[in-house]
Amino acid sequence: MTSDSASSRKALSKIASNRLQKELVEWQVNPPAGFKHIPTDNLKRWVIEVNGAPGTLYAGEMYQLQVDFPEHYPMEAPQVIFVPPAPLHPHIYSNGHICLDILYDSWSPAMTVSSICISILSMLSSSPAKQRPADNDRYVKNCKNGRSPKETRWWFHDDKV
Amino acid sequence: MNSEMEVGSKKFTDKNRCRELAMSSSFCRRIYTEVEEVGWEHLVKLGEDLTFIRFRIMDNTRRTHILEITLDKSYPRSPPSVSADVPYISHLEWSSSSKLRDVVQQFQKHVDKLQDFWLTLDDIDRSFWVIDPKHSHHAVSYRQIKIGHDCCIVLSVNVDDPRSLPECRFLGSDTEVNILRDIWKQNCKKWTREKSCPENLLHIFGNQLPQPSHLQKNEEQVECGICYAQYLPTDDELGAKSGTATDYSCENGNCNRAFHSVCLCDWLFSITTTRQSFDVLFGNCPYCSDPVAVKLSMKK
Repeated sequence: MTSDSASSRKALSKIASNRLQKELVEWQVNPPAGFKHIPTDNLKRWVIEVNGAPGTLYAGEMYQLQVDFPEHYPMEAPQVIFVPPAPLHPHIYSNGHICLDILYDSWSPAMTVSSICISILSMLSSSPAKQRPADNDRYVKNCKNGRSPKETRWWFHDDKV
Repeated sequence: MNSEMEVGSKKFTDKNRCRELAMSSSFCRRIYTEVEEVGWEHLVKLGEDLTFIRFRIMDNTRRTHILEITLDKSYPRSPPSVSADVPYISHLEWSSSSKLRDVVQQFQKHVDKLQDFWLTLDDIDRSFWVIDPKHSHHAVSYRQIKIGHDCCIVLSVNVDDPRSLPECRFLGSDTEVNILRDIWKQNCKKWTREKSCPENLLHIFGNQLPQPSHLQKNEEQVECGICYAQYLPTDDELGAKSGTATDYSCENGNCNRAFHSVCLCDWLFSITTTRQSFDVLFGNCPYCSDPVAVKLSMKK
């Protein structure tokens, strides 16, 4: 599992923990279909169960997402990774890192954990084939010592999946 | 007029025009007389060729109605067509001796019959938080009432029998809607004509229905779109801004999201596309992407 990057080792700011509490309440009232929040005492790290959507390549499969929030959430995106074993997908690396623009450059505070989850599920559902990204081995080797995906310079080139 | 008539003798066309003029002058005389009978004080608009008339009618509870009458050139042989802001128009009884006054009288009778219906809707508007229609029209027979966090009831009141059990639909998340639907199914038998509609609803849902928005603070509208709180926390970093309410909202009329300028500035500072000129930050609303310009707030 990845270690935390320097910024995320700090405690949540008051603004961040207020907002996360509200997101959690909203999640409990209205959870996104196909997801289950595993309750913990830790507001700073959410673990979420994902169920592959019926009728897709991942139907019947279950994965776990780990969401770590930075001190100044929502000014910064949360770090979202699949807890290995990660689903086989052209945009998901074997160490759980996800190539999805909204987790990095395209993040906005108008998004929520719930909306991220829906995007990830839709990314899974639209996959044409169960395979790793072409550069998987090279990338994973470079990420040794638990580097955060947020430190990667992502190159978003494929709008189709 | 068809072309054969036009190529016919001049005499014929003249005769024809005379007849037309005579007819239209008798038509005009007739309309003016009939409007007079209704009373000029009721007249709001009279079309140039007198075929369109708009009256303002007050019913016996001093509710005003606009009655629009369109006349055919063959009036009064053919009955006028009538439209008004009411749920439905009753069939117009028309004979060769009928006049505009009869139209108005029949309309007045019709709106008097609808009094109970409008009183029921007024009762609902006074008692609950109605979110749709925003401005009530006399013709609308439904009310969308806010109930709970993100749940609504849509009540359709029976126009002819407003004291009967209204038709009820629920909008919102499945879990909440199912609970409400069950309550409704179980308790709707308790509905009674002896009680007003709000009393009946309170009886069914047990005092859960929020009051009209002007009677309560509408907190949802003023939560910051970034930190989700109405008031900033008390924090050393926030200094003088501690505990303050939202103070900026997106100028796009369809968005209108409220923000703390502190939160919006923090966000705009964290992305590279933001531009600064003196103490104003230029960027985009995180919700609608329309341009925003926020004055940098002094935190201390």
